[in-house]
Amino acid sequence: MGKDLFEISVNGIKLILIFLMMVQAVPILVWLERRGSAFIQNRFGPNRVGPLGLVQLLADAVKFLNKEDFAPDKAVKTLFYAAPIFALIPATLAFCAIPMSVPLTIGEYTFRIQGYDMNIGIVFILGVSSLAAYTILMAGWGSGNKFSLLGALRASAQIISYELALGLSIVGIIMLYGTFNLTEMVNAQQGLLQFTALGHTVQTSWLPNWGIFYQPLAAIIFFAATFAESNRLPFDLAEGEAELVAGFHVEYGGFKMLMFFIGEYGHMMLASALMVTFFFGGYLIPYATPETVHSWVHATLIESPVGANILTTLLHFISFNIKFAVFLWIFIQVRWTLPRFRYDQLMDLGWKTMLPWALGNTIATAAVIYFVA
Amino acid sequence: MTPDIFLFWLLTIVTLGGGLAVILMTNPIYSALALVFTMVGIASFFITLGAYFIAGVQLIVYAGAVMVLFVMVLMLFDLKTEIAAFTRGLFTGALKIFSVGVMGGLIVGAIMMSAGSLDENIAKVNPEIEASMSPDAPTKLLGQALFSRHIFGFEALGVLLLVIAVGTVALSRSRGGTHAKQ
Repeated sequence: MGKDLFEISVNGIKLILIFLMMVQAVPILVWLERRGSAFIQNRFGPNRVGPLGLVQLLADAVKFLNKEDFAPDKAVKTLFYAAPIFALIPATLAFCAIPMSVPLTIGEYTFRIQGYDMNIGIVFILGVSSLAAYTILMAGWGSGNKFSLLGALRASAQIISYELALGLSIVGIIMLYGTFNLTEMVNAQQGLLQFTALGHTVQTSWLPNWGIFYQPLAAIIFFAATFAESNRLPFDLAEGEAELVAGFHVEYGGFKMLMFFIGEYGHMMLASALMVTFFFGGYLIPYATPETVHSWVHATLIESPVGANILTTLLHFISFNIKFAVFLWIFIQVRWTLPRFRYDQLMDLGWKTMLPWALGNTIATAAVIYFVA
Repeated sequence: MTPDIFLFWLLTIVTLGGGLAVILMTNPIYSALALVFTMVGIASFFITLGAYFIAGVQLIVYAGAVMVLFVMVLMLFDLKTEIAAFTRGLFTGALKIFSVGVMGGLIVGAIMMSAGSLDENIAKVNPEIEASMSPDAPTKLLGQALFSRHIFGFEALGVLLLVIAVGTVALSRSRGGTHAKQ
């Protein structure tokens, strides 16, 4: 974790900060979701508590904490109470592996703006986030309720089906960049779009070198599959209010339900961050490499090298967050725009449409890399 | 106690405890959940050994597979019969003792046959092993080894998985699932 006490403690605090960043983004997202849905449906939304209704979620959290803590009579108590706690873990662990800015160099220390840098970033994220399905099954089975169990079974079938398309759509990206490391992937997207095909070098004058221009199909499949993974509309069959009341969290109230909420939003954030990292240049600022940004900051704004380093990191962090926020907004917009799928449509889409296309994309990418580049 | 040793014992407790729970629990659902703990524990062991890629694959493949097992348990088993079948009876008792014997033999055999293979000097003797120990190498080397030297085993495993899938479909289509009477 570091070579001396200072570096180790900074890295430890960083992990806590990333967790808090994820958890604290949830109230803002819920506010955005409620106000956004109201905007889409021509209503007002929460606008009474605090400026623009921003404090509404704080009030809600206090209310949730004060609610009676109960478990149904037929519930399996251990699983029932463990499920909401485990719901937080996968998304948090996976989110820690996302690089959010250029490494910050202060003196002899270099701090990465990410929880931990792993050579197998993608494999780790896929593996950890696949554990999320268990919390849903634990909740569904532990509640001792038929609706919960049906919701949990639907969720597990859905997650198993869409994980295939999700994983296969990433294979194209891995082949393109030739690495599992997320930071290396981001670095590979620097500068303007430029590639070599059949001996000719093609250079565009204004398109950034982002993954989406190489792998548009993978981007679409990946984004659609992440909707299914995070159980949001149009794929929220697990909750389907019309037929299952609220699916796997029928029996949950108060803060336990809120923890499922945080887990769901965590998956949404993870999906947005991965979209940005794979297809939209990660923390990079378009038309500028970290070096040019650093020299510009150093020449025009701040004299001291440490200050310039900090400001460069901050600028890239803001760049990452702007892209990140755009995708979070798309998640919210889609949720309030599209209706829910029917169950057979969901399975058809997963197995008969997205899986073959993702496989085709993998083969096509491999062929192009082998024969053309 | 160094962090490594602490981690080792913690993970050992989690993994072995999960493994024991898999066979000691009477309810198949709890067994499946305990299996998840075992799998995650083994993945963590791989991480402490520096084999990150295998750890990730362990999580994706095995954790995902247990997920399917969980669903199978829920959909195909009659939980009450299953609990009754695994709690009492001379036959299941004999079966348990037999399985413990076989497992114990396997473990003793594995320990006896692997004596010497954990020697640190082996890496220096064998350049391939030494190369695979650098932090960046494993994935690429693993891929090359899988698709050249071990291609037959790799493909055979693929066929085996296909057979399992076909068998599952055949089983689930027969009336009564695993409890079908001929």
